[in-house]
Amino acid sequence: MVKYALKRFATMIVMLFIVATATFFMLAAVPGDALTERTARLPEDVAARVYARYGLDKPAPERYVITMRGLVVGDFGESIVFPGQTVQSVIAEKGPISLRLGFQQVILGVGIGLILGVIATVRKNTWVDYGIIAFSILMVSVPTLVFGLLLQQVFAGTLGWFPVIGWPSGDELMFGGWEYTVLPTLAGSFGYMAMYARLLKASMSDVLGQDYILAAEARGLSKGQIVRRHMIRNAAIPIVTKLPMTIAMCLTGSFYIETIFAIPGLGRYYIQAISGRDVTMVMGFTVVIAAMYMVVIFLTDILYHVVDPRIQLAGKTSR
Amino acid sequence: MKNKLKRAVSYAVDSLGHVPQDVTLVPEDFVTRGISEADLEGNMRPPVSYWSDAWRRFKKNPLAVAALVVLGLFVVLVIFAPMTSGHDAYLMDSLVTNQEPSGSYWFGTDALGRDLWTRVWVGARVSLIVAIACAMVQIIVGSICGAAMAYFGGIVDEVLMRIIEVVSSVPSLLISLLIMMVAGNNMGALLLAMCITSWMDTARQVRGLVKGLRESDYVAAAQCLGASPMTIIVRHLIPNTLSILLLDLFMSIPTYIFSEASLSFLGMGLKAPEISLGTLISDGQAMLQIYPFQLFYPALVLCLIVLAFNLFGDGLRDALDPRMRK
Repeated sequence: MVKYALKRFATMIVMLFIVATATFFMLAAVPGDALTERTARLPEDVAARVYARYGLDKPAPERYVITMRGLVVGDFGESIVFPGQTVQSVIAEKGPISLRLGFQQVILGVGIGLILGVIATVRKNTWVDYGIIAFSILMVSVPTLVFGLLLQQVFAGTLGWFPVIGWPSGDELMFGGWEYTVLPTLAGSFGYMAMYARLLKASMSDVLGQDYILAAEARGLSKGQIVRRHMIRNAAIPIVTKLPMTIAMCLTGSFYIETIFAIPGLGRYYIQAISGRDVTMVMGFTVVIAAMYMVVIFLTDILYHVVDPRIQLAGKTSR
Repeated sequence: MKNKLKRAVSYAVDSLGHVPQDVTLVPEDFVTRGISEADLEGNMRPPVSYWSDAWRRFKKNPLAVAALVVLGLFVVLVIFAPMTSGHDAYLMDSLVTNQEPSGSYWFGTDALGRDLWTRVWVGARVSLIVAIACAMVQIIVGSICGAAMAYFGGIVDEVLMRIIEVVSSVPSLLISLLIMMVAGNNMGALLLAMCITSWMDTARQVRGLVKGLRESDYVAAAQCLGASPMTIIVRHLIPNTLSILLLDLFMSIPTYIFSEASLSFLGMGLKAPEISLGTLISDGQAMLQIYPFQLFYPALVLCLIVLAFNLFGDGLRDALDPRMRK
């Protein structure tokens, strides 16, 4: 186990290096940069000094070495568009916002999704079951984007129950200011509800046909006991192992929600950095997000093994 | 019957009890014993090919058939609907800006006085074409790479597997955004941005399937007969994975419609004057508070198309899955 983890960790470092290299050279190929416009009307020597300030006067290979050295020591460089901002400062400032949004989405989406899944299985082949299935198919077909806009229009626009855009700040950053967070959270979590309801129903239906359920019924256990003690526990494996991936999906899924509701989170900043051709920030964020994503995939693999020891870790068995 | 048997016997052994060497047999020499041939016909299940069997099962699913009909309707609409209103999709008219839906403008007009009915269907056409093109690229590239990986193994497998591992270790949205940033907002870049990550899942799936099939006897037979690797891949391996690929194709189209709309919404997809459902939704959002209908119609068409594809895909999966065969 430890050996496997170490091996995976080493692979992760190599992959991160490759991703960083690929990102760097892709960004080096971007036509024009954020400074082109800014220095257009400046005298030539001043413009040259501005370029030198951000190290953009050097040829790409030299910049590559500097960037990579910076990544190793944790220095991602300074934003070209907003002087003084660094990747660290932006993460410290906007990270909590995205974190709360993601956290609320996952809790609500997965929680309700699982409840719906249990209900659909227990009430199998009744109108409750069909209703839940219809709901989840419908929800999978309505993109987060459209759903977010719809919620915004109906509940914030027409009915005026919630603010249209914005996000709590200051003391209420992590707790409170709920009226701002309701719609974005809902918009993001419906997709997860649908996904988890279907997933749990599928895995519980598999369990339903097992002999030990029949045995439990024969022993005279009540339906609630069977569902709680036997079905949910055995159906949990696909759910538990799917969770890290959901958290990772949240990372990029929130890009749309943050854009719709004008939430000043990481996703929105990333999009702005891309449209503004803010090369250093895009570089830094891509590496950070890729690193987080890799860690999550790694944890998923470990979790598979922990939850169900029957599953062999990849690489141990001969392929 | 008796005469036939007599003839057969007379051929089989001559008067001396030897079997003659120069017997020529005709079909009439063979007779079915114990059961008449007419009975035999009736007892046999008529031979049903895999595809007609799948179609028979598909027809039993009313929801999937309805979805298929709706999809057909949409195809007709995206081809012909833009011609029906008499308005041009790109022609601006400052006299009729932001009109509510009416007899002349069925879906209303946008901020520049362009007819939304025409624009929605032209946009849906673009979105559908982009999605289908991406799905085709995904299937073709994915199945060729996957089959090659499984078939050749060794270095080919190793290299492609490493590439897949690296690319899939980054969220695909990031890759798409980076590509759009480098290549600019045009159709080619959009296709590349959306396909670059998706072929890998197909490749992995096909690799697994083909690895199983490769061990099968008929491939060994083809190799003995001197078939080239390409012939074996195209003639034997791909047809055997076809139902899974077909399913993949239809399941991935709605995903591409989503991605295109989302990228365009973030301002990283197609840009004006190009029309797609994504750009229309993005334009509609700007006017959401005042003229909600400008968002409503493109969003509705998007959802209906995706819903129809999803229901059709679900039906197709049930129909193609041989385990469902009774």
